[in-house]
This record gives sequence, C-alpha cells and structure tokens, in this order.
Amino acid sequence: MRSVFSRLLSGGRGGTQGVVLTLLAFLVILAVVPVALAEAPAGALHGLAPLPDDQKVPHTLLPPGSLDPDEGPSDVIFPQQHITLRFNHAKHLAASMGLTCKTCHAAAYRSASAQDVLLPKPTTCDSCHSTEHDNLQAVKPGDDEKGQCAFCHLGYKTSDGNTVAALDMPRANLVFDHKSHVGRNIGCAQCHGPIEKLELATRDQLPRMLGCFHCHQMADSASQGSAKSACDTCHFRGDSKGGPTRIKTMFASGTLQPPQWLHNAEHTPDFLERHKLVAADDSAFCANCHTEDFCTDCHDGRVRPRSIHPNDYLNMHPVEARMEPQKCQSCHQEQSFCLGCHQRVGVAESSPTNAKDSGRFHPAKSIWSDPPMRAGSHGFEAERNLNQCVSCHTERDCVACHGALGVGAGFNPHRAGFLGGCETQMRRNPRPCYVCHEPGDAVLAQCR
Amino acid sequence: MRPSLPHRRPRLAPGGRVRLRDTAFGLASVLILFAPRTALATDAEVTSDTAAQFYDVRSPTGENVLNRRRLTTTLAVSAYNLLDAPAGDPSAPTLSFRARFRYDADFGVGSGAVDPTNFGSFVPGTSQGMVDMMYAYVEGRRFLHGWLGFRLGRQYVTDALGWWSFDGGQVTVTTPFLVKAEAYGGFEQRGGMPLSTSRFEGDGVWRGDRSNFDPSLAPAFQPAALAPAFGVALESTGLTWIHGRLTYRRVYDTGASNVTEFASGTYAPAAYDGARISSEKIGYAMDANFYTFGGVKAGIVYDLYSAEMTNLYATVDAYAGKKVTISADYDYYVPTYDADSIWNFFAGEPMNDAGLRANVNVTDRLSVSGGGHVRLFEVQTGPIDPANVGTYPPYTNYAPGQSVYPTNGHPFDEGGNLSARWRTGETLVTLRGSGNWGGEGDRAGADIAAQRVFDTRYVASVRTGVWQWNDKLEPDRSTTSFNYVLGLGYRFAPRSQALVEWENDMNGLVGQRYRLMLWLTLAVTK
Repeated sequence: MRSVFSRLLSGGRGGTQGVVLTLLAFLVILAVVPVALAEAPAGALHGLAPLPDDQKVPHTLLPPGSLDPDEGPSDVIFPQQHITLRFNHAKHLAASMGLTCKTCHAAAYRSASAQDVLLPKPTTCDSCHSTEHDNLQAVKPGDDEKGQCAFCHLGYKTSDGNTVAALDMPRANLVFDHKSHVGRNIGCAQCHGPIEKLELATRDQLPRMLGCFHCHQMADSASQGSAKSACDTCHFRGDSKGGPTRIKTMFASGTLQPPQWLHNAEHTPDFLERHKLVAADDSAFCANCHTEDFCTDCHDGRVRPRSIHPNDYLNMHPVEARMEPQKCQSCHQEQSFCLGCHQRVGVAESSPTNAKDSGRFHPAKSIWSDPPMRAGSHGFEAERNLNQCVSCHTERDCVACHGALGVGAGFNPHRAGFLGGCETQMRRNPRPCYVCHEPGDAVLAQCR
Repeated sequence: MRPSLPHRRPRLAPGGRVRLRDTAFGLASVLILFAPRTALATDAEVTSDTAAQFYDVRSPTGENVLNRRRLTTTLAVSAYNLLDAPAGDPSAPTLSFRARFRYDADFGVGSGAVDPTNFGSFVPGTSQGMVDMMYAYVEGRRFLHGWLGFRLGRQYVTDALGWWSFDGGQVTVTTPFLVKAEAYGGFEQRGGMPLSTSRFEGDGVWRGDRSNFDPSLAPAFQPAALAPAFGVALESTGLTWIHGRLTYRRVYDTGASNVTEFASGTYAPAAYDGARISSEKIGYAMDANFYTFGGVKAGIVYDLYSAEMTNLYATVDAYAGKKVTISADYDYYVPTYDADSIWNFFAGEPMNDAGLRANVNVTDRLSVSGGGHVRLFEVQTGPIDPANVGTYPPYTNYAPGQSVYPTNGHPFDEGGNLSARWRTGETLVTLRGSGNWGGEGDRAGADIAAQRVFDTRYVASVRTGVWQWNDKLEPDRSTTSFNYVLGLGYRFAPRSQALVEWENDMNGLVGQRYRLMLWLTLAVTK
C-alpha cells in the first residue's frame, strides 16, 4: 500500500493521471476525517480515568480514610463497576463553568437510601451539550463535537444508531442517607475526596470505612442520635448465616469480614487460635455477625469440630492435654466432660469395677510415686500442669495420700507461701480445708 | 353487595348451646378488640442442627472399650422485632426472644452406667439422653433513646473472665459519654440442675444430680445446688479505635457438700453446709488500634479468692502494609478452681507462653499464617517454706530447706503452627499444621481439607491428615496416624443441608477405626 501511495504522490508512470489520483485521494481524506473525528474526539482524551493517562491518584486526592498504599474500597460493599461514559469532573467543576456537585447530583441531596439512583439524568447534559435525551429511544445528538454521542459514550459508533454501551454501577450494599449527612453540613468531599481535582469518578472515589469513623465514634445513646459507630448504622441486617438480626455478610460480590485495622479482627487462617483476644474484650463486636450458636458449636459442643481437633484425636489427646492445658478448659469442664468419659473407659481411678481396662495411664510406680522426686514423678507433673490431674481424678484420689489423716498421713501438697493467703481463703470457704483437715486440727490455727 | 339482614337480638334461653355460642362470640369480640390493627413485621426463625455419630472408642492396646451411638440435636426458636420497629431505623428500640434446646443422647451407654443400684457399672453424672436449655432469653435494646438494654432468662456472658452462663437478668446502661455500665444477677448454670449442663461452672468439683443416690455411694460426687451469682462491668462504647471492659463477678456455692469421702469415717464432720464463695474474679481486657501502624490487645484476670493473678496476656500487632501483619504474643496462666475444690490449695504452678507470628494475604483468595512459641511450665524449684514444714508431725516427708525439685529439668516446650486458606465463591481449601515438642511429649502433623459446592446445592468435602505423637511418659503410646474423611451433601436452601461423612483413622496402636456421621441442618425464617 505504501508503495502505491508513494508512486501516486511522486507522479509515478503517468504524470497527469498521477496528479488526479493524488487529488482524489486528498478529497477522500477530507471527507473521511470529520466523520472519524466525530466518532473519536480529537486530541488527548480526558475523563477516562480519575487522572489523565490513568495516572496513579495521589493519596491526598483519595477519599478520607484511604490507606497508603490504597487498594480501593471494599469490593463487597461497593461491587465492581463497568463505566461506559467518559466524564471530566475537574473541567465541569472549574470556576469558569459555574457548576457545583448539586447541579448534576441534586438527587443526592434528597436521597435517604443507598439504593437510590444518584447519577444525573441524561437530560441534565442537554442544556450544555445541545443534545436531546428526552426520549431515550430516539436521542438526538447535538450539532457540535460535544454533542455527538461518542463524545461521552465510550465505544459508540455511528452505526450503533440509538444504542450505547450499558453502564453497570451496582448499588452499594450499605445503609446510607445522603440527605441527613448533607443536612449536617457535611460536604461531598468529606466522604468522596476532592473530586473537583479529578476527571472520571470511579469506585476509588467512593468512601472508605475508615473515613466514616472520623465521625462515627458515638455510642448508641448519643443524644444527637447521629454518627453512631454501631455496625448496623451502615450495614444491612439479616439474610445471612447469623439470621435476621445479625449483620448481613453474604453478598454476590463476596463475604463481608472485618478489616485488618478494626480490632485486628481480620479473620486470618489462624484466627481460631487468637479469637479469644477479640471476644474477651468486646464480645458484642463479634455478636454483630455471629449468634451464640456459632460459639456454642465449639465451646459447648458435643460434636468434635474437626477444625480444632483433627481426626484420631481420641488417641492423641493425652499428649496435647499435657502440653496445652488451658486450651482444654476453654471448652470442657474437666470434672464432668473429661472425668465422665475417663471413668467409663476405665482410665480413671474412680472408674466402676466393671469398666473395661484401658491399661495404666501413668509411668511405672518406681518413677511415678517412689522417691526421689524428679521429672516424671507425679508431684512434678502435677505442679507443672495440675489440670491434667483434674481431668481424670476426683479429689478423693488425692486426699487418700495428701489428707492430713489416713493412708498417706499428710504428704503436704501446698505450695510455698501457702500460709500467706490461707486465712482469707478459709474464711470465705473453709470447705476444702475440711476435706483434708478436721475442724479441730491444730494446723488450721495457722489459717484462722 | 349482599343485602343487609334484619338485626335480630340473640335469644339467651333456653339451652346451653346458645350460651356456648354467645360466649364464643363474646370471646372472639374481645380478641378482635385487643388484636393489633396491623400485622407486626416480626421476624421469626426456627433452626435445628442434628448430628448422628457411630463409632467405637478403643484403648491404646486396641481393645474396644466404648461403643458410641450418639445423637445430638438442637432446636432453636427466635422472634425478632417484637415492637414492630420501622425497617432500617438503627435507633429504634428492639425486643427479641431467642431460645435453643438440645438433646444429647448416647445409645451406646449401657443401662448399668446410669443405674445407682448397679455398683459395678454405675458412673455418677452419666446420662443416656440429656436435654438442656442452652439459652432462652428476652432481650431489649436501645430503649430510652438508646440508654437502656436488658436481657432476662438464661444467657451467656463473654469477657475476660471467660465464657459463662447464668439464669437471671442483666441491665445495660449506655451513656453518651463513651461508657456503658452493666449489672447482672441470678444463678450460675450448673450441672445436675434441671435443663442444665456443667460446662459453665468452676472446675475442680465433681458435681451433679445425686437425688436418687444412696448417701454412702460415690461420696466424692457432690450434690448440685443453686449457685447465686452477680456481676458488674464497665465498658467503653462508641469509639472504634480503642475498647476496654472491666468486669467483676462473684458466685456462691450453697447447700451441703460432702467432706467425708471415705467410708471409714476417718474424717468428721460428714458434710459442710452453708453459703460460701465459689469464685470471685475481676478482669480487664482492652484493645487499641492505630489504623496504619498496628494495634495492641491485653487482658488480666485476678482471682480474689485465691488472691493471685491467674491470667495475663498481651499481643502487639504491626501492620506491615495491608497484606502483612506481624505479631508478638505473651500469655501467663495459672489454673484455678471452684472454691469448693481442694485443688486451689495444691501447688499448681504458672505457665508462661511467648510467641511470634505473621499473617500474609498472598492474594485476595490465598492467606497464610504461621508462628512459633516457647512455653515455660514452672515447678517449685526452691526450698519449701520452712514455716509450713515441721509444724505438723505428719509433714515429715519434706525437710526444712530441702529443694522440692532441684531443677525444672526441661524449662521450655517449643511449638509452631502453619495455617493456610484458599477460597473462591464455592471452593474452600484449608491447611492446618502444628507441632509441639516438650519433655512430656511431642505432637506434630497437618490436616488439609477441601469443600466445594456444585451448582449451589451439591456439597463435596474431603479431609486428610497425618499426625505423629510421642508420649514421653508412656513411650509405648507413641505412634503415627493417617486419617481421612469423605463427605457428600445436598444443600436444599442456603442455610439447610444434609451431609453424610465417612471417617477412617488408622494408627499403629489401635489399627483401623471408622466413624459414620450424618448431619442435618435446617433453618426456616419468616
């Protein structure tokens, strides 16, 4: 093709014929270019992204509460959009234009629901762009370049007729009342950032949860009745695993979970190990999404949760019980749950005589009971982890030897310094004292 | 339009049928008069979870010691928005009711185990089929412009003092000054009482219903009695970057407790009676977050009965970007028991645990967490208190100045864990591995599990794991286990499904074992 044109332009073989052809080609170009310009605006295109050439938006131009680096708002709350328009907010909001946010988004000033449509109607554009959007089945373009369909509607071609690409801007999964915020003199930029310095407004210009918390730090009883931090101030309730009153967490756009910076309650793969830190401090926070049932299924569960106890746990649990005693007690009462089963399987000393024998649990007597005391002796193991004793023995088993009278004749089980606090304990509940000592026992005088 | 009928005054006599009809008419009129003019927008919900399990428990020598044929089923009923609050108004007061009941049966329990006359088989406290009321309460929130909240009935309290249940009332006053106050009182839920479990009572006392027992039978098994309890709490509210809760609770033991646990009658008196402290604790937990840097969480529990700090923990999190969190943990713990228990007076020593961990969100779908820790179990290594030795003749086993244990021998246990999760909309794959090594034993292994939902209805799951443990006190109990579970289910509604699982465990000690599990989860919401 290039060689044909070069020959034409240079005159080629047939002098006059070449000139005519060149002129014809020139005329064709003159006829085609305006049409092409009408379909694709000339010059650098603006309004395709927040900043020209899709430059990265500086942190200072992002909505308040954006992190640095920022990854945009939550996909779950603000589902992904497909914007088929180009629009230059910076140009429209320039002082010379005399427009404000309200000029186009007047509906936002009246809106009480995030489900409302807050984009301007197409007719809003007509007064300046000389278009006619009154009948969307037969939109009339304007006379000049700015009035052409392709000026705003991306990908539009003349051959598309009255059809433009669909705009997909899903509603936010949020409770939000623009009207009440505007009524409290909260400007658009306080949630959306300085839009007037940006071109196209995208999801990145939607509010960040952290930004909401700049104001929403009030208790339920705040007399103003506003800016509460309760989750259901902004989040939907119902229709998720938690039932009708818990925060709705399941959306087509994903599952709602706490962000890293909120109580550091991000539900990481190891959250099971550390959820106590959150629940012990603010269980009401957990209860926003979870019912008691969610807790009881493990903490008062009768069915082994495999995410905590792996398969074959019945055989391996003695080793773990010795090593991590506090974890057993967080779900099991040792003198009922543990002891009851140990009695039935014949492990416990208090098992009924007909229980099948599961074999000796402890090391040989020469290590377990006989002197000298050392690692592996029962006293050493009890001091180290008393809970493992309590999971299998009744107090009677211990009193047999540690009681002040009887078989063992008083092997003192008290820790060093016991006398320092025993007076208070005996005064408030002397019952355990009398299990080993008779009320008239002279040694009790030290605790009276 | 139907033609109007001439009004007729009903005849009152004779005959009872007329009177009955009139009575019914009058009753209906009253009901109509007092019925709400408009239907309430009350939400109601009924849920049920059922699990049937069939498996055997074997001793370490491979002998079958227990047949378990278990059925656990719950039924929960809830009603919300009983005040017909306007939809979407988060400031409106709300009133709701929630209750959940559970039936937990083991048909493998022989009749002898629950028969107090069968001395050779009887296990006090055992039940073939127990029914308990997990919770049942009426809750009001945001009354008096948000100031007042309350709960009445069986309910849970969760805070630094643990997870606890009681029957009674709770009142919460939320002030605009970023603080709310809470007070509650009632009776601790205790095993052996009607519709109750022992899960929430202080440990260390073997207790339950012995109403049908011969007094001489199982004297260590203590009779259950009412346990009055009350508590107060102060908690911050509103602020999202900092939170704290200060909590106090006292529980009483009442009724007679047997202190003569030997038939020989060595001790007297036979029982101790009267109200006495069961537990009294004060705790505080807090967290503070500095959004872009990190956060701190901490808690402390002080036992006022045993006069010692029983738990202290703290965690510092550093946010190394949005995808990475690095944390340091510390946990101090010493076991305590119900004040009726003798074990509070035993030399149970504290445990200290320190660790480092990290979480990395590799992608939106893949997260990995891992960490390591060291754990110090203390024992009494110094000389025993001379003031407590030799003052009572039988205490001759400890000589003054003698070290109880010359050394801990193995001061540290070590451990670590690695967890990962990969999920898409319908697929979840998890890895959970851990290892702990110490003087009493080692245990290490990992589980990998996957679940996928096909066409939003068909559920398939698989879990497999390898675990190895060394019992250093009983070396012949050490072995390696391989196990797997296969599951298939059908989800007939978003929160309702049926699932069948087949589990096969195998290890060198007890050989092959199998477990069949049937699950049915139902949820109906109006």
